[in-house]
Amino acid sequence: MPASIASTASPRNWLCQLSAVAALSLTLLWPPFAQAQFGPSTDSISAVVTTPQVRAELVAHAPEGVTPGKALWLGLKIEHQPNWHTYWKNPGDSGLPTTLTWSLPEGVIAGDISWPTPKRLPIGPLMNYGYKDTLLLPVAVTVPANFTGDSLDIELRADWLVCKDVCIPESGNFVLKLPARAATTAHSNLFAATQRAQPVVLAQATATASVSSATGAGVDSSLVLRVQGLPAQWQGKALVFYPEIPGLINNAAKVAGTWTGDTWTANVLLDPQRGEAPQQIPAVFAAEGVAAGAQVMVQVTTPWPEPMAAGAQAALPEPGTGANSYGSSTSVNTSAGGLSLGLALLFALAGGALLNLMPCVFPVLSLKVLGFATHANDRKKLLAGGLAYTAGVVASFVGLAALLLALRAGGEQLGWGFQLQSPAVVAVLAALFTLIGLNLVGVFEFGSVLPSSLAAARARNPLVDSALTGVLAVAVASPCTAPFMGASLGMAVTLPAPQALLVFATLGLGMALPYLAISAWPALARALPRPGAWMAHFKTVMAFPMFATVVWLVWVLGQQAGIDGVAALLGLLLALAFAAWALGSPTLGPKARGGFGTAAVLLLAAALFWGTPTLRTEAIAASAPGSTANAGVHGDWQPWSTERVAQAQAEGRPVFVDFTAAWCVTCQFNKRSTLLDADVVADFAARNVLLLRADWTRRDPLITAELARFGRNGVPVYLVYTPGSTQPRMLSEILTVDEVRGALASAPA
Amino acid sequence: MKQFVSSVAIAAALALSAGAALAAATVGQPAPDFKVMDTAGKTVSLADFKGKHVVLEWVNPGCPFVVKHYGSSNMQGTQAEATGKGVVWLAVSSTAPDQGEYKKPADLAAWMKSQNAAATATLMDDNGTVGKAYGARTTPHMYIVNPSGTLVYAGAIDSIRSANPADIAKATNYVKQALAETLAGKPVTTASTQPYGCAVKYSKGG
Repeated sequence: MPASIASTASPRNWLCQLSAVAALSLTLLWPPFAQAQFGPSTDSISAVVTTPQVRAELVAHAPEGVTPGKALWLGLKIEHQPNWHTYWKNPGDSGLPTTLTWSLPEGVIAGDISWPTPKRLPIGPLMNYGYKDTLLLPVAVTVPANFTGDSLDIELRADWLVCKDVCIPESGNFVLKLPARAATTAHSNLFAATQRAQPVVLAQATATASVSSATGAGVDSSLVLRVQGLPAQWQGKALVFYPEIPGLINNAAKVAGTWTGDTWTANVLLDPQRGEAPQQIPAVFAAEGVAAGAQVMVQVTTPWPEPMAAGAQAALPEPGTGANSYGSSTSVNTSAGGLSLGLALLFALAGGALLNLMPCVFPVLSLKVLGFATHANDRKKLLAGGLAYTAGVVASFVGLAALLLALRAGGEQLGWGFQLQSPAVVAVLAALFTLIGLNLVGVFEFGSVLPSSLAAARARNPLVDSALTGVLAVAVASPCTAPFMGASLGMAVTLPAPQALLVFATLGLGMALPYLAISAWPALARALPRPGAWMAHFKTVMAFPMFATVVWLVWVLGQQAGIDGVAALLGLLLALAFAAWALGSPTLGPKARGGFGTAAVLLLAAALFWGTPTLRTEAIAASAPGSTANAGVHGDWQPWSTERVAQAQAEGRPVFVDFTAAWCVTCQFNKRSTLLDADVVADFAARNVLLLRADWTRRDPLITAELARFGRNGVPVYLVYTPGSTQPRMLSEILTVDEVRGALASAPA
Repeated sequence: MKQFVSSVAIAAALALSAGAALAAATVGQPAPDFKVMDTAGKTVSLADFKGKHVVLEWVNPGCPFVVKHYGSSNMQGTQAEATGKGVVWLAVSSTAPDQGEYKKPADLAAWMKSQNAAATATLMDDNGTVGKAYGARTTPHMYIVNPSGTLVYAGAIDSIRSANPADIAKATNYVKQALAETLAGKPVTTASTQPYGCAVKYSKGG
């Protein structure tokens, strides 16, 4: 019997003023008996909603029935009354796109609307994008392999805004039952015609856009579009550019494009109130008198000017907040935007000087500097030593940066901190720090370990010795530069090579500056505490920061190479410590040294033989991003992937992405203080935020590429994707609870 | 029409420069000044409110999106909260007299009163000069000017682009958020959004 389903086509109570809408009459018929009556009809019963403005109908096209793997299309057919229109996915200056919400049996999945090529619909000085007359919004449907039903029950809730001079939001509920084993082709002509109006994805077409800044008051910024590979028959015709991102361009402005051979170029005025700064603009290009446009992804090749006052941007990456060494991130960011290289250099200088206070550098340098006091009177010698040290530091930084730039130019996906992405480098650093620590506590003296010829060479060439101290200082500083300054130095790497090297050289100069100053002005050296018995204690105390650094490096290595790697490293360090004592202890006699020494060398060789294979494995997290320890620490966090982000956005779910690395101290600090904060965790849960972690502890080209997309080359980076915005918001590197909650609050709950 | 001289000059400049009839005020730049009459016939100028925060709200009682926010008292609540903090709230009608939805000053004033609106004044921008100077495209379309006359927000009333009043509770009210930030002396984090609603009914003559 006719099972009539109540249907609502919108008139909400506040619309009662519109008598026309009040008179709205709805028809919705679902007589399943009709099928029995007319046999397997090619025309499935369709649901129709009629308003004074439109006649809307749920239609299907299933030439092979409802069969897994076969084409099945559903669609909403909208017949507009004259002069009424509904909207494209980007409605233009006003309006709303039509939305379809499907209820389908388990496993049957409806895709997104395949929007036909829209038309420009001027309204006064404004411009809309949409459709008049008869429109079909088709949706491809996937039928699961295990589908066995006799029919497919389809329910649809559609919301559309229909406008002429006035606008009326309308909605309708539709039901349709499709026979599974009979063809449904009643609307094949409409589906075919719509197919012909579908924007075509042209594989050979390329489009780029550069942003041309406003040249003065009253002149807005514009996009200079350059499109190649469009259909040959379009050449010479006027084209329309339909960006899929709303609110980006001045929709109503005339676009004067020109054809040069097969290349179309045009100047498109931007909307000065735009809130987006996309790297890519999905767009449809359409030619006059041609039904189907072309779907082309426009690559934006230049940075976007900040459309608003500082701090006001919604979607642009925010410059890092400045505190000590992070200052360089702010400055490098602005210099990348073409502002002040001078400021970047100034921050690099200050950041370098601060490096001297880092736990990895301070013990070594403080002892070296205190040593000055003993010969504070030999000015020339001191100054020469200081200069040699400075040269060593600067050369090491420049060398390291040049190596990084060269590797990147060679196609390697690396960023600053790349040194620590290799377990072998981490192991070598751990060994170095262990040795320095043991030396400081007095387990051995370097003099007894070094071959006598080398010791003599050191004494003869104090300048070389000073320069090598500089190299050592950079080496011991590297576990600190990467974790504390990774993000800012990472940005420096993305500058043109000469500028990047200049920033690194200045950083080195800054680091060498205190040492140089003391060597240049002996008065400073004389002001230092006099050497005495306290120095022995000071030296011993300084050993502990060294060992603390080792603990941290072992943890980093554990993230990269697992428990086997940690055991191998600890075994190696143990053998090394034994060897250092056996060969270098000043208290051992020659006989004992010979015996212990031989044993120690053998032990060390054995440890190297056993441990090296584990440590040499290049840690590249390519195949198993989920296996990284960092990603699995907290159950709510999932490994990052672009697909996961896209999927969550499609579902309208907010996303938080944490780009992190085990060796990045700032990342670990933020993770523990902010991301695990009770309020933040509660907010994440309340807003159903998808938490994704991109772990860069090991080399990962995908993550490096994603960081580059946001102008970064180091971690931490925090992104918040809110529903309805295609561009994420970038939070600052020193993440605060307020900032995270504020960013989340701007998303709909 | 003397009071319109400056705004007419702006409009003329716009028409000459852009060809398109709409230019737009830019966030971070000085907000365009204007002089128009309110529904009571009093001349109102933006410059009158130097030193205060000013909210501009484009309104058209015939638009379902305006009705969404008035019928639910969302707009009036936002108005009352803002004016309670010393903010000046100007509702602007740029609907042209040749449009079916046009309301005469007294009728518009009566409608605002019937809605218990808490706007400081309702401005009659019949020839659309203010709307075009600000690039107002939809009703509602919201703007915030700070005490030094800089535009600090332009865009939607809230984050869910729909005509459904049930969405208001779930949406972020961008105007409340931006006002709270700018009143606290902080930069506005979400300063530009895509407005949604009916098109502003400028004159059919263009």
